[in-house]
Parts: sequence; structure tokens; C-alpha cells
Amino acid sequence: MATRKQRISFAIKRFKGFWNQFKKSKRGLMGLAIIIFFSIIATFAPLIAPYKPIEPVIPRDEYPGIPSLGIKIAHQLCKPFWYKYLPWIRRGIDEITESFYFYGYFQSGMPFIHFIHENIFSPEIELEKIQATSNYMNVSRKISELKEIKVVLPDGTQQISSIAEWRLRGTREIESTVNPRSLIQLYPNYTKFEVTYTSGVDLVENMKIVKDHKFTTSRSFSEEWTWYSNKMNLENVINVEYDDEHGYVSGKSEDRGCITVTYNAAEDTIPSEDVNVTILREFTYPYYESPQDLFMHAMVNNTGPSPVKVQFMLIREDKKFILAGKEINNSRRYESFYLMAVNKTTLDSIFAAPKTYKFALLITIPAGGNTTIIHLDYVDCLLYGNIFGWLGTDNLKPFPSDIFSTLVYGSRVSLIVGLLTAIFSTIIGLFLGLISGYVGGIVDEGIMRFTDLLMVLPTLPLFIVLTVSMRTVSGYMSMWNIIIILTLFGWMGFARSVRSMVLSLRERAFVEAAKAAGAGRFHIINRHILPNVMALVYVTLAMSVPSAIVVEASLSWLGLGDPRLASWGKILYDFNSSGVVTTKGLLDYWFWVFPACVSIALLAAAFVLVGYALDEILNPKLRERR
Amino acid sequence: MGLKAYIAKRLVYTAVLIWAIITLNFLIFSALPGNPIEAYISRVGRLDPRYYAILAEHFGLNKPLHEKYFLTLKNLLTFDFGFSVRYNAPIIDIITKERLPNTLLLMGLAEVITIIVGMLIGVIVAYKRGGILDTATVTASLITFSVPIFFIGWILITIFCLYLQWLPTGGAYPRIWIRNPPSSIFEYIAGRIYHLILPTMALVIFSVGGWILLTRACILETITEDYVITARAKGLKERTVLYKHVLKNASLPLITNVALAFAGIVSGAMITETLFNYQGMGRLTYDAIFMAGGGSDIPLLQAIFYILALCVVVANFIADLIYGIIDPRVKYE
Repeated sequence: MATRKQRISFAIKRFKGFWNQFKKSKRGLMGLAIIIFFSIIATFAPLIAPYKPIEPVIPRDEYPGIPSLGIKIAHQLCKPFWYKYLPWIRRGIDEITESFYFYGYFQSGMPFIHFIHENIFSPEIELEKIQATSNYMNVSRKISELKEIKVVLPDGTQQISSIAEWRLRGTREIESTVNPRSLIQLYPNYTKFEVTYTSGVDLVENMKIVKDHKFTTSRSFSEEWTWYSNKMNLENVINVEYDDEHGYVSGKSEDRGCITVTYNAAEDTIPSEDVNVTILREFTYPYYESPQDLFMHAMVNNTGPSPVKVQFMLIREDKKFILAGKEINNSRRYESFYLMAVNKTTLDSIFAAPKTYKFALLITIPAGGNTTIIHLDYVDCLLYGNIFGWLGTDNLKPFPSDIFSTLVYGSRVSLIVGLLTAIFSTIIGLFLGLISGYVGGIVDEGIMRFTDLLMVLPTLPLFIVLTVSMRTVSGYMSMWNIIIILTLFGWMGFARSVRSMVLSLRERAFVEAAKAAGAGRFHIINRHILPNVMALVYVTLAMSVPSAIVVEASLSWLGLGDPRLASWGKILYDFNSSGVVTTKGLLDYWFWVFPACVSIALLAAAFVLVGYALDEILNPKLRERR
Repeated sequence: MGLKAYIAKRLVYTAVLIWAIITLNFLIFSALPGNPIEAYISRVGRLDPRYYAILAEHFGLNKPLHEKYFLTLKNLLTFDFGFSVRYNAPIIDIITKERLPNTLLLMGLAEVITIIVGMLIGVIVAYKRGGILDTATVTASLITFSVPIFFIGWILITIFCLYLQWLPTGGAYPRIWIRNPPSSIFEYIAGRIYHLILPTMALVIFSVGGWILLTRACILETITEDYVITARAKGLKERTVLYKHVLKNASLPLITNVALAFAGIVSGAMITETLFNYQGMGRLTYDAIFMAGGGSDIPLLQAIFYILALCVVVANFIADLIYGIIDPRVKYE
């Protein structure tokens, strides 16, 4: 009997010999490198991924009082941030010309007019198509500025229409200010209107307007904010200043700072007039494209006796936009005031080109001569752009996930499912194969017929049926269900190989010798047969991981995965169910799904390559042939 | 054992397989704790009590377990799968009218092309083993082996539908046929082929790698046998050795694999059909998994699974028959 030390040194020697063999296989080394790469990513996922993989949010602590867990980190369907470094992506102002054909008629005395876009127009246009078009010119891009409208009459004469005769409906529709009746008399049918307008295209990053929205230091107020009021000319009536005592305390944060608005009614000479205070922060919006979404937030504490009105405003050089308003009563505590979403049309009409804007909070204290002190804290405005993160965002609502983070965490699921399934099914296969081969007789026959049955079944339909019925029973799908199912139906091929190997091994001379020496069944299997089967075990372990990974991804792709678990299959499912594939396709959103697919293929292929290399080393017959 | 006895034995074996599949069906859907069928019936019953009565009778809802088992046995053997609430038609009609022929067409086409292309490349590669071509092909096959089929499909859609705009993104036939059916048989065939190209291509790319590897392995296995060396030593032409001595013997295990590959292609077809919106069994499955209003159409799933398993069993049986006819050992053993 060898001592423990000898045994260890023998094992090390054997491993070294094996490693020397393995080193020669380029495929094997490549596979091993890929597996190690993904294992590192899976292990350090929380350090690598910048956000939570599922429903990432800017936590509620940052913006207290909002109804959900937090607010979205970015808008849906963002492109990766490095798109802005790609020179072929167009940015800036485009001048676009589109043509519309005019068609007007009277029906029971009522005038009907249509502007038919050139793309759908043909001289023999069918009436049903005409009805589908609209009585305004619906251009294909957002209008930044309307440049010119040229009228081409059917006889070929051209004239320039005055811009004043047209107005914008929203941001993509141009409507005539002339009434329809005179329009029909003015222009014959099939008059062509050539519209020239400019439209901005840009990649917009997320913008946080207020740097220190919790007002932690007095500088955060003095450097960023300005204010004015309608009673500024009166001394000591209204004052806005930094206050380091009355701030809102959110969760564990220790900051006490806030803005305090003081209205001193005693000094007011015209108490019958409302007091308006506008607190504003200037910022530059550098993009041609408007933001995708907007979030505004403030915590307001009104200590005065009467309710005050607070409004969010965006002030452009030429216009003020009031976006939301709320009455805040005196409740002796902070109340939240927020604006969660603004539709794109509104944003398009506010942000058209690079300009300077002001984010403003308008506070109206009603007339009545009551001295009022208002505290403001957590005042912020977020503008959501259309680029974000390393791989953009998906389309989930309300919280789109950062695709890169999901991808990083997804390596965990794939590795766990692949490895556990391989280990469990190999153990089952080994066990049944050994029993079947060594015991023989009716046990062998039974196990083998059962194996045949399971091998005949079409796998994916079977898995679908099983996952669906498990889902129906338990109400949800989990990763473990998939592991169990894959294990239960993944051992057959291996059991067969083991059995045939055992059948030939047990007739060998060394087994006979062991029998003659009085060794028991267990001893013979454990000491003489198992070591000879182990080579096959290693190969099978490596070779059965890929199919598990791919099947898990396929099931998730079909929507049978765990929706709360960040996996590569979930990325694929979200992409597939978003419908992007048949409209814009991989060309526009390749970064969403390409990395996940490549990761699945790479990881699966890596295990195949390692298995192949192991097979070559451990299976001498194969080696001879080369 | 003669050929007749061999066929008889396979027949009995096939019958046992079918019985086992039915039993498995019963286990998954009716006998295991939770009982999906019962859950389904009670859910449908809440929506419409009339269906509850029909379904409860068909599946023997309140009967003891053994009676339920015999009912399942009878239902599945007579292809009486019950009534689909969603399609408002007997399930067997939904499957046989359009879905199953579509799927068999797609799978058959894909399998034939796969086998021809795979064996051709496999033979060439095995013959020139060790070269750059061999290494490249083997590596490429190993990789396509592990690429999920929907990825292949997406790439094909992007190239051929969105970029080149040559082929339709989905469907089994032109959508316009719903209103005005094709006038001539040629138009019909052309329309079908036009819509078959992409799904078939995806399936072939997905499964051809396995065939290349298998053919290569089988040929390498025989090429090192003694009788091949003898044939070469006799001075036979290399081509004669390859076709008469190597290929003939290597083809036997390949034939067994035709049936197994069929089972694999069923899995591939499920996903391909879903992706390309091809009105076959795969698409039907996908629609059955996600019913409007949540939950899954369990009876339909049961029928689909049973029919697909049956197809594979039949394919196996046919492969066994061909094997018996080709392999001389079966006749003389």
C-alpha cells in the first residue's frame, strides 16, 4: 500500500503528463481559455456589471416619495454610448424635402381634403388608400424648422407658398391655416406641395441637470442656482437662501441642507398680490435631437398657513413651458412632487436644437398676508437620452435593463445550468451504465429498454411539455426546474457507452484475477472497472455541457425561462418578443442580441473543444489514427 | 433469424414504444402531483361552463386513476385529442389539416439536404484528413453544433430579408393566398418554395455539422480496418477502395442515425418555425404555450407531443426496416 504522500505525488505526476498532452491540442487550449474567461466573469459579476441585471433603478433614496422602487436608469431601447465615437453615424441638422399631393372634394356639401405622401401616391390611386391619408401633411421626420413650401400645379407652374399659411400640428404634421373650402377652390387636384424642413439627428446622453440635488453644501446652491421674484424690488419681503438645518433626511443620509424660501408678509406693501418666486438653474442642451424622456423631482415643505402652488418649468430663450404643478398644503413635513414621464411630442417641441435652457421651480404663495417659509430639497431634473451603457438598454417597461449587466450576470446561469446538468446526468448515466453492464440479465434488459425509449423521444418537445406542466403546477418557472428536466433526460447516451465498456471490461483477465482472489462485486467495480471508465466520464462531462447551455437558452428564448433571472436566454427572449427583429432587425439592434448569442455559442463551443481534446488524449484508438 | 422475423420483432418493439409514450404522456399530464390537465380544465371552466362539461367528460376528470389511464390510452390510440377551446375545432383537425404536413415538408426537405451535403463533405474531409480543410471543417462543425438555431435564423433574416430583401421574413405561404388562393399548381409550388428557403437553410446549417462529424468518424473507423489495408495492398484503385470497401461499410451506422437525426431536426424545427412564423407544429406549440389570458393550452400540447413522438417512432421503424434490408447480417444471423 502506497503512503498518502506517494499517492499525491503520483497523482501530480499523472496530471503533469496529461497536461503535457493537453498543451499540444490547440483546440483544447482555446476552449479552456474561453471557459476560464467566462468563469472569471461569472465569479466577479457584481464587480464588472455597473447595474443590477434585472429592473435596475436609481433607488428611491435618491428621489424620495416616488411610488415605485426607484426611477429608470435610462430610456428604453438606448444604443451603446460608444456609438457617438463612430464616424459614420450622422449627427446634426438634415435638410429634407418631401412631396405631398393635394386631393380635395365635396361630399354632400362638406369639403374633404387629403395630402397624400409621394411614397404612397400613384396617378390611379384607389379611393380606399386616399381615405387612409390625412388632411395634413404627415412628414416622416421630426421638424426642427420649416424652411419652404413650394407649390407645383398639375400644369407645371411653380410658386412659393408663404410659410405663414401653414402651421405645425405637433412636430411632424403640417396643417394649412386656410380653410378647406377655399383650399379646394385654390388648388386643383394633384397639386404637388414640396415641403422643405430641417430635422435634427443626434445621439443624446443622459443628463442630470442639478449636480448636487441634495444641497449638501452651501456652495451647491450659490454656484448652481439663481432666483427672482415679482416682489424683488421690495426689501426684505422675499428671500431665497441656503439653509443647513431643515433639509429632508432620506434613509441613512446625513445631509441637512436645503433651500429655504422666506416670505415676510409684514414688510409687504401690496399683500393683495400673489407672490411668485422662480428658482432656476441654467444648463446647456447640446443636442439636435430632443431627449427621450424626462424626470423632475422636488421635496417641498410648506410651513405657511395656506397651500402654495409649485410648478416645474423649462424656460427656453423665447418661451416658457410649464410641465407640471401641485398644491402643497401645510402638513409640517416634506411632500414629494415629481413628474415621471413626458411624451416625446412635448419634448420635441421644447428641445429642437442646441440651446441654453433653464430648469425652474415656480412657487406661488397666494395673497393673504401670511408669512410663509418653504423648504425645498432634492430638486432635480433628469433628461433621458438615446445612448447608454456599454450595450444599450432593452425595451422592458417601466425599468429597462442595462444589457451589458444582464449579459455579465447571465454567464452565471449558463455556467451553473450547464455544469450542474452535466455533473448530475453523468452521475446518473455512470451509475445506471455500471449496474446495467456489470449485473446484466433482466436488470440490464430493463434499463436498456428504458434508455431506448427515452432516446427515441424528441427532446425539445418533451422539454417544452415538461416545463409547461411544471409551470402550470408550480405557477412559475425556475432555473432549477430546467436543471432537473435536463438531468432526467440527459444521461441515456452516456449510460449506453458505459454499459458497453463495462461489458468488455468485465471479461478482461484482470477482473477475472480479482475475482479469483476473492474480491467482492463492489471492490471490482470500484477498483478495476471505474478507473477504466473515468476517461469516458471526463469526456462526457465536457461534451454534455454545451447541449444543456443551448437547450436552456432555447427554452428561455421560447419564454419558458425564469423571467426574474438574468440569463442569456432572457436577453434573447426579450429581443424576440420586442418585435424589433422583423422591423429593424439585427442591423439596428445587433448589440442587443449579438453578444448574448456569441457568448452562448462560444461557451458551448469551448466545452465541445475541450471535450474533443480530452477525447483525443484519453482515447488511444483515436490518437493512432492521426 | 430471417428478415420477416426481424420485421416482426421491430413491429412489436415499436408497439411497446408507442404504449410507453402514451404512458409517459399520462404521467406528465394527468398522474403527477399538480395535474396540469385538471388545472387547465378548471381554468377554462371558470371562463365558460359549457367547455368544462365537454372537457371533463373527455379527460374523465372525476374518474379514478386507472379509468383515467385507460381513457387516455383509448383517446391517444384513436387520435381523439379532444376539443380546442382556442381554435374552436377538434385538435386532430387543427394538426392534420395544415400543421403536420407543413412541418413534415420542412423537416423532410431539410433532412434530405442535410444528409446529402453532410455526407458529401464528410467523405471529402475524411479522405483528406489531417489537412487544413479537415481541421477547418471540423472546427466549423463543432461551432455550428453549439450555435443556437435562432441565432442562425436571425442572421439569415437580417441578410436575406432586411438587407437584400430577396426573401419573405415569415409564413408558410404568401399572405395574399388567404384572400385569393393560387390559380395554378406552379404558382402554388413556387410560392411554397419561396417561403421554405430560409427555414430550410437555417435547419440545414444547424444540423449539417453533426452529419459531417458523424460521416467523418464512421469513415475513419472503417478506413483503419484490416480489410481496407488488404484492398490497398492488392493494388486496387483508391477510388474503388473508397466506394466499394469503405463507404459501403461505413454507411450502416449512418442509416441508423437518419432516424436519430430526425428526432434532432424535430427540435430544430420547433424553433425555426417559431422564428419564421411558419405555420407548422412548432409554431402551434409556441402558440399553445402562451394562450391569451395566461396559461397554456395543455390538451393541444399533449396532442402535439404525442404526434411528434409518434413521427419519430415511425421514422425509427422505417430506418430499422431499411437497415434490415441493407445489412446482410440481419438475414443470415
